[in-house]
Amino acid sequence: MIKLENVTKVFPSKKGKDVTALDNVTISVNKGEIHGVIGYSGAGKSTLIRCVNLLETPSKGKVWIDGIDLTKLSKEKLRQTRQKVGMIFQHFNLLKTATVYDNIAIPLKLLGVPKSKIAERVVKYLEIVDLVEKKDSYPAQLSGGQKQRVAIARALSQEPQVLLSDEATSALDPETTNSILELLLKINAELGITILLITHEMNVIQKICDYVYVIENGNLIEQGSTIELFTKPQQPTTKKFLNTISQRKLSDRLVDELKLEGRVVRLTFLGENTGQPLLSKVTQQFYVEPNILTANIIELKNGIVGNLVVHLIGNDQQVEQSLSFLQEQGVEIEELGVN
Amino acid sequence: MQSFIDQWLPIFYEAIKDTFLMVAISLAFSVLIGIILAIILILTRPGQPLQNKFVYQFFNLLINVIRSIPFIILLFFMLPFTKFIVGTSIGVEGAIVPLVVNAAPYIARLIESSLLEVNQGVIEAYRAMGIKTHQIIWNVMLREARPAIVLALTIATISLIGATAMAGLVGAGGLGDLAYRFGHLRYETDVMYVTVILLIIIVQGIQSIGNRLAARMKKD
Repeated sequence: MIKLENVTKVFPSKKGKDVTALDNVTISVNKGEIHGVIGYSGAGKSTLIRCVNLLETPSKGKVWIDGIDLTKLSKEKLRQTRQKVGMIFQHFNLLKTATVYDNIAIPLKLLGVPKSKIAERVVKYLEIVDLVEKKDSYPAQLSGGQKQRVAIARALSQEPQVLLSDEATSALDPETTNSILELLLKINAELGITILLITHEMNVIQKICDYVYVIENGNLIEQGSTIELFTKPQQPTTKKFLNTISQRKLSDRLVDELKLEGRVVRLTFLGENTGQPLLSKVTQQFYVEPNILTANIIELKNGIVGNLVVHLIGNDQQVEQSLSFLQEQGVEIEELGVN
Repeated sequence: MQSFIDQWLPIFYEAIKDTFLMVAISLAFSVLIGIILAIILILTRPGQPLQNKFVYQFFNLLINVIRSIPFIILLFFMLPFTKFIVGTSIGVEGAIVPLVVNAAPYIARLIESSLLEVNQGVIEAYRAMGIKTHQIIWNVMLREARPAIVLALTIATISLIGATAMAGLVGAGGLGDLAYRFGHLRYETDVMYVTVILLIIIVQGIQSIGNRLAARMKKD
């Protein structure tokens, strides 16, 4: 549904030092899925999402939406195609001087929706975002979450096939973030809208994304289904992002201290398999004593990932055997304190 | 007192009428020209979708040049041009051309800065929706800038009233002319005082109306 093909974006700078914001990036979002791009500020994710509806024109590469190459379109055709692509923003971007109702109705009017249908559409989408009773309020009278709901209703009212979310939850508190994420899940499920979002918050990826791209310095450094990324992260940056959502990281000093006896490993399980039965087997079969240091379960959109950091105490051979046993059982193992 | 009123009331009435006429007509033209200039500047400024260095610099320079000329000089400098445009260089008609030339670039700058304050994000959101540029100008930029534009026009109106006083020098009439001719040249200090008080009341009134209107349009 959305495809960026070898997209490169270079911002020319007067001092002769051009900035490459995106370097040969390819992404592909299937119809009806939610894909997320995560990266630190300045990584190029904003440029990436703005390339999708050509708010930024890529220096090189192609942008496909629903089989149309946007980079080849005339200005007028591009304008029409943009109507199929909704977008929401970190700072909501509503008209301050217009009511909630008008904020949705004005774009519809400008896009040529017949007058008789506008009221019906506005109410329909305000109902979806659960804000009908606020239709005569002005944005300044709303909370951040409510403003974002208006912005979502505005985007949806144009009945797009694709929704782009540019850090839509970054200005919101955690509770409001969750309610907006749930709303995005709902519109994805009920209206079948394909969503591409960018974020720097791993919990956004965790809660709603099917597929993740990690971007750093304009390069895609890692990508995969959310489950893959949570169970087998490869790049240090990806691991750092994972550390932000759960207490995955132990201090180096603690790990070094523990390693004086035995080994410290992180075990990642997929599914409801909590790991507990496996650990008791390890004790029975290999006489290794596992001491659980941290444990958590992360609920992803499409599954559950369990995470245990365990101090395995026993002789080297026993520990080695127990680790290969765990690996056979499909457990991902990462040894901590190894440089 | 009664005799003062009887003697001067028709003259003051005439002067106030002239002042209002000059301000209203020149304001109308200046706002029209000012908005157009401001929109051209906003659209062609570097970094905008329609950026055009040549057009932007041309109008930028033009506005700066005109604004560099003090009104009193402009008034005489433009006499031939005024005569060419309206057929006379004196009276209310004669004053309007230099008043517009003086006020339009000023208003253009004021409106330009009001438009620049419109949240770029909103404009971008509307671009992303596939809405046409001219629709964005009307329905986003001018709409959102309305409270700021009203305040800017309040300021512009008040300085126009000031400028009309000088227009008295080309025989345009009005309150300034009255104060100058009777109050200053003929030592009728009463007339001077009354004129000043009237001007204070008018300026206060316009400023209050402007503030109130802007506050009502502002929704945050």
